[in-house]
Amino acid sequence: MVAVSQNYTKNEWKFSEIIADPTVRARWEKVRRYFFLRESTYDMTNRCNIRCEGCYYYEGAKQFAIENRNMGAWRRLMDDEKQRGITYVVLAGAEPSLVPELCAICFQAIPLGAIATNGLKVIPKSVNYKIHISVWGNDETSLKTRNAEHMLARQIKNYRDDARAVFVYTFTRNNVAEAYEVTQTLAENKCRMTFNVFSSPVRYEGCLRHTEESLRQTGYTMAELMSIYPDTVIFSPYNIVAHTHPLSLHGLYSCSYPRMNPSADIGLGRSFRQYRTDLTWDRSASCCVPDTDCADCRHYAAGSAVVTARLFRHACDPDTFKAWLDYVDTYLSVWVMDYEKGANLCDGPVQPPGDWARDIRG
Amino acid sequence: MSDEIILRIAQMMIDELKLEDVTAETFDPDIDLIDEVGIDSMDLATIALIIRDEYGIRIDEDDYPKLTTIRLISRYIEEKLKTAQENN
Repeated sequence: MVAVSQNYTKNEWKFSEIIADPTVRARWEKVRRYFFLRESTYDMTNRCNIRCEGCYYYEGAKQFAIENRNMGAWRRLMDDEKQRGITYVVLAGAEPSLVPELCAICFQAIPLGAIATNGLKVIPKSVNYKIHISVWGNDETSLKTRNAEHMLARQIKNYRDDARAVFVYTFTRNNVAEAYEVTQTLAENKCRMTFNVFSSPVRYEGCLRHTEESLRQTGYTMAELMSIYPDTVIFSPYNIVAHTHPLSLHGLYSCSYPRMNPSADIGLGRSFRQYRTDLTWDRSASCCVPDTDCADCRHYAAGSAVVTARLFRHACDPDTFKAWLDYVDTYLSVWVMDYEKGANLCDGPVQPPGDWARDIRG
Repeated sequence: MSDEIILRIAQMMIDELKLEDVTAETFDPDIDLIDEVGIDSMDLATIALIIRDEYGIRIDEDDYPKLTTIRLISRYIEEKLKTAQENN
């Protein structure tokens, strides 16, 4: 995707000038109300009811942790997390819907959060977190890569008309074209969706790993789907730039998760933990998608924190700041219950700010 | 200069973070902003933008962890201003 030329020739913009535009100021005030969100993630169980190629959960040591299913232990953990200042939980690996009683304990203690699920088993409505349902292509592809039949139909049956649900279409190298039929099906069923980009686990060199060409195709497809299905797709032009760039999120923005960030003084480096199913955590492995190859990480969950954290560098001119606002508005809509996304402020892509261009040139 | 900057930073904190029960004059410049006031990196980035506007200096993202009190922020600003003057 080719970036639009910047509309502004001025070298230095004051922040007060950038937010002088009433539309920009309103969006800034809207998103900054959520700066209090401080996340951690939790593997809920070692088990899953399907087995997908390229699944990051079944890489590395975390899959061998001994499951703790003691409800008292989980309640204590959540109380401690709250004391530590955690205001947002992400319940992930391997398949949280298999332990709904633990999800309920998390919700009782910390009422803001999201659950990453394959959507084949309904999570009780009393757990009022966002539910992210993973979609990896059409049913034929799902059968091949996830060994599950009629996956999309079953996911839709379980989560149609559920305000918690966001379907997350993961673009791999092989399923770019299928996104059209999947999005159409989701639109016909009045489901909301967002996009993810397959990010290889460490040492993975399989057929799902993106190439520059597949990333380019993914970007075009995302833009087209946003345009055809504006009421279905929750995304922005800047999301496309950030997640289909030849450089990974770490390459573009310098990842702020503990795994890549040695500072434990402030921000994610200080508060973020990724708990295994035995309720232990390891700083050196802590990020939202552990065991993902950082040089290939374009994961939507990672971007939500990594791009958002780079407020200062995006406040360099009106276009770049609007792009950042679109990104944050998108992320909040995908991750926070009852948060409604506004219209994108940028019509087209804007290049990410920072040192990446200089680094590429050497 | 230092006291003036300290008071100005304190007022920025109060205004931007909507802090209550404190004035610029009563804000302890040595209180730990992260541990005791509870500000986070996004709050600090917001303050850094206001500082950029008022003093014309950039606070590098890598420097945020060093800026844990109003006094430290004030010293940081003074040093940056001094360096800028010397370079002119």
